[in-house]
Amino acid sequence: MVRTNDLEAHFGFECRACENGHCNKASLETILGEREGLEEFYEAFKEHIRECKRMTYGQYMFIIDREVLPEAVLWWHNHPKFKETHLSTAVGTDERPLDGKFVYMPFLSVQVEPLNMDRNYWMFLKAYMPADDPSFPSVAARLPAALWIEREVKDLLGFRPVDHPDPRRLILPEDWPEGVYPLRKDMDYKHSPVTEPKTEYRETPEGTSLVPMGPVHAGVEEPAHFRLFVKGEEIIDVDYRGFYSHRGIEKTGEGRLTYNQVLFLAERICGICGYQHSVSYAMAVERLADVEIPDRARYIRTLMLELERIHNHLLWVGIAAHLVGYDTGFMHAWRIREPVMWLVERLTGNRKQYGMNIVGGVRRDLLDYRKEEVLNVVKRIREETKTFLDIALNTNTFIKRAEGVGILPYKVAKAYSVLGPTARASGRRIDARLDQATKTAMAYNEVDFKVPVYKEGDVLARVLVRMDELFESIWIVEQLIDGMPGGDIFTPIGKLPEYEEALGFTEAHRGEVVHYVMTGEKNKVYRWKVRAPTYNNLPAIPEMLKGYHVADAPLIIASIDPCYSCTERVQFVDVKTGRVRILTEAEFNELSIENRGVF
Amino acid sequence: MAETVPYSEKLKKWDRMESGKFGGKAPVTTLYPFVDVEKPPEYRGIPHINPEKCVGCGACVNACPPDALIMEWDKEHGVKRLTYNAARCIRCARCIEVCPTGAMEPTTRFEIASNSKEDLVEVVEHKLAYCEECGEYLDFTERQIEYVKNILPKDVFDLYSLEDRMKLTQEEKMRKTVVTLRETEGNVYPAFVLVGESTKEKGGEE
Repeated sequence: MVRTNDLEAHFGFECRACENGHCNKASLETILGEREGLEEFYEAFKEHIRECKRMTYGQYMFIIDREVLPEAVLWWHNHPKFKETHLSTAVGTDERPLDGKFVYMPFLSVQVEPLNMDRNYWMFLKAYMPADDPSFPSVAARLPAALWIEREVKDLLGFRPVDHPDPRRLILPEDWPEGVYPLRKDMDYKHSPVTEPKTEYRETPEGTSLVPMGPVHAGVEEPAHFRLFVKGEEIIDVDYRGFYSHRGIEKTGEGRLTYNQVLFLAERICGICGYQHSVSYAMAVERLADVEIPDRARYIRTLMLELERIHNHLLWVGIAAHLVGYDTGFMHAWRIREPVMWLVERLTGNRKQYGMNIVGGVRRDLLDYRKEEVLNVVKRIREETKTFLDIALNTNTFIKRAEGVGILPYKVAKAYSVLGPTARASGRRIDARLDQATKTAMAYNEVDFKVPVYKEGDVLARVLVRMDELFESIWIVEQLIDGMPGGDIFTPIGKLPEYEEALGFTEAHRGEVVHYVMTGEKNKVYRWKVRAPTYNNLPAIPEMLKGYHVADAPLIIASIDPCYSCTERVQFVDVKTGRVRILTEAEFNELSIENRGVF
Repeated sequence: MAETVPYSEKLKKWDRMESGKFGGKAPVTTLYPFVDVEKPPEYRGIPHINPEKCVGCGACVNACPPDALIMEWDKEHGVKRLTYNAARCIRCARCIEVCPTGAMEPTTRFEIASNSKEDLVEVVEHKLAYCEECGEYLDFTERQIEYVKNILPKDVFDLYSLEDRMKLTQEEKMRKTVVTLRETEGNVYPAFVLVGESTKEKGGEE
């Protein structure tokens, strides 16, 4: 294994991690003494902990026995002092080529003090499983936040969560054969078998009737299939089948791309929060290579992230207005949004998918004459949004449809680990921008802003949270332009250390985006795990829908600002032009497999 | 036409024709396919290979994330073929960034829809250099060798006696090395051979 010292010797990098004492070679006492709660956890699970290490600043890993996995996760999740701690997600890794074992690793964002990035930390609970029996006791049986991630590792890696309450297929398509696990290392990324489709829908409960909604959502125009079980007009229960657009991006990234190429794939995970993904990925790689990027690059990244948040919130409020039948609001919100797109086009070279990032910095500098234009645009947006909100929030159509609808109580939000504005509208005081140490890749520690929190938990609260955030974002942009430091915009990384792990994260406009990266040999990525915020927010939708009317369903679903492509990491679309003929499903599948890679 | 205004001035002066409309009253849309939409000078359109500047080094091929640029060797005909496919291109402009000679040129073109796939492909063919001893084709193009000759300082040429070895295949080089080693048998090895090895070992220990 290459250590940071070797890197230093080879490339002359300053190892700041060693200087500040956060290297993974530190002794047990130093590690446990660094943050609050680590010592306590170590005492409680002493006989089950195999190893402790610090992966990087503010990221700790405990290797524990798989038998105590649920207890350990719940110990952190229900800790009386760390109230806003949530189960972020979990990573399953096939480490058989390295040590003959499988790995299942849930990780939590531990909030010692909300919004203080120097005291909070990430807690990774790594459990090894033998290759012949990859099973672990299910966390989902006691914590709903783990429902999807356990179904995911079951699908993609063939792990067996014992006593999982809902062990149906989640990610893989219905016609994927049993026993083929795409994320295992012995499967080639081009392999794509097909069998007879087999659907697994939940039984309609007694006394209810079924209203299918989807496979394409009415408002956000993306594929997701909701099955609403209704009694009259009232929704009793909901079944969800999604992942129609699973692209296998993680496998592609692990298969053949180098670490800088993965960055551009990461940016294309999502159409509208692409830069958040790109920054998260870059941050993860920078963290594990132990380099610090120049201040100017951090400022430019933050600026772009906030501009993205501004136009995304405007986009969302437009969609919400459209769904409540207030189309004038929709038109105006998108009209206000358009100048931001023009601005970022001039700053980066594209309206979306900025291509601005590279591991180690940014690619385009912000030229001085452009600063004035940024300020002009955000100033106009602030004025116009104020007028828009004045009108929209005094429109009865809007208020009556949004107020008191789709209520998500605090306890449910916490149990499902709901993130972002959806969580903040339910009273959770979390924001990954300030909660965790974003300061290595972004400049949020150097600007001042508030995190709006509402207690109501209904759709209106989600609108208000987002609009308050928009004004805070404009304020952040103004501060960034004001305090933009000079200097370089890029630090070269060179060779990456082998088999090191780190986490990158940002707060997208929907919640925290998490990219986990484990490097392999020759500057490649061994394991890349992406978790978009919608992945945590969507499982909570059934809880929001229960008890409301069918007519409210599209609005409630859209109120979390779902992004299915992000969540599902989808496959490239092939369009077969030319002759028009009707294909059966099987023919279509064959065609799409044959023609993959043509474009 | 474009040459008369310097690029930096163009950046400052360029203004979007619709932006005036946005402050005022409707209509805010344009009749897009019937009027030309001019993109700002910073826009990343599809790149274009300038065959006069390209040396065929393949730096762009290594950097390209979606494999829009492909390099092929045709050793029978002594040709190295660089293919750019705009249909695969994601317009990240990495190739423009890494190109050592500035042969990948940025454009602001974005309308690439076409009736035939061939319109989207650009091919640049390079002559491969051949070995002066055995007459087989090398992996490098003639232009690559010229380029290297121009940028390397004279001491490096002298130190490794590159002038003689540059245009040889790998086997010929090895044969030559063996010959020279036999000649100098019993002598001390040249210093640079040892230095390269020892630094590597040191790094590993720490």
